[in-house]
Amino acid sequence: MEKERKPKNIFVQGPISSEKIAQSIANHASKTDIGGHSIFLGQIRADEKPEGKVVAIDYTAYEEMALEKAFEIREAIFAKYPLTCMHIYHSLGEIKVGEICLFVFTSSKHRKAAMQACDELVERIKAELPIWGKEILDTEGHVWKVNT
Amino acid sequence: MSNLIHIKAFGMVAEKIGKESLSLENPGTTEALKNLLFQNYPELRSLKFTLAVNKKLTPGDIELEEGMEIALLPPFSGG
Repeated sequence: MEKERKPKNIFVQGPISSEKIAQSIANHASKTDIGGHSIFLGQIRADEKPEGKVVAIDYTAYEEMALEKAFEIREAIFAKYPLTCMHIYHSLGEIKVGEICLFVFTSSKHRKAAMQACDELVERIKAELPIWGKEILDTEGHVWKVNT
Repeated sequence: MSNLIHIKAFGMVAEKIGKESLSLENPGTTEALKNLLFQNYPELRSLKFTLAVNKKLTPGDIELEEGMEIALLPPFSGG
């Protein structure tokens, strides 16, 4: 019987630690049909804006809608690529420059499916999830992040 | 009889109107709601935002019913 999939929480309060990422990789050691992992890590960049330099991004989300949408995207990517595993984590709250705010992790028998699925997931997360980044500046003001 | 709808605002929209949620007498449709919001918060006219009704994006004009949750969503900028 196929396992029923349910919406999972993707949100993490604060930055995503390197320990969490390492632990997540280690958790796959027992899944011996995996031959390749693909990992994307989003990091807060010290962007120079006309109004000042970015020191942190404060993320907020319409969480209920984001989780429903993330589930829909997850199902679509599982249907499209032969994946063994897929994990998505996105930060909420204030994340400082140099810290990790997005962790996307796909695994499959062969590398291509994992890499293509990871790439497509990151694009869809950025375009379709109701999440907003407020860029905090060193001038004490802020600007709203715009995704390109 | 009360016929309220619930509004949630996010990001730049929440900042402009100065609150994250409010309840309003149901104006009937999403277009009527937008007009009402523009009247109450003229600064919204210059912002780009879309509406989600009960957590679904809604293209076009939609009939609103009592108790619905309407979210005002500026362009997404996650990741």
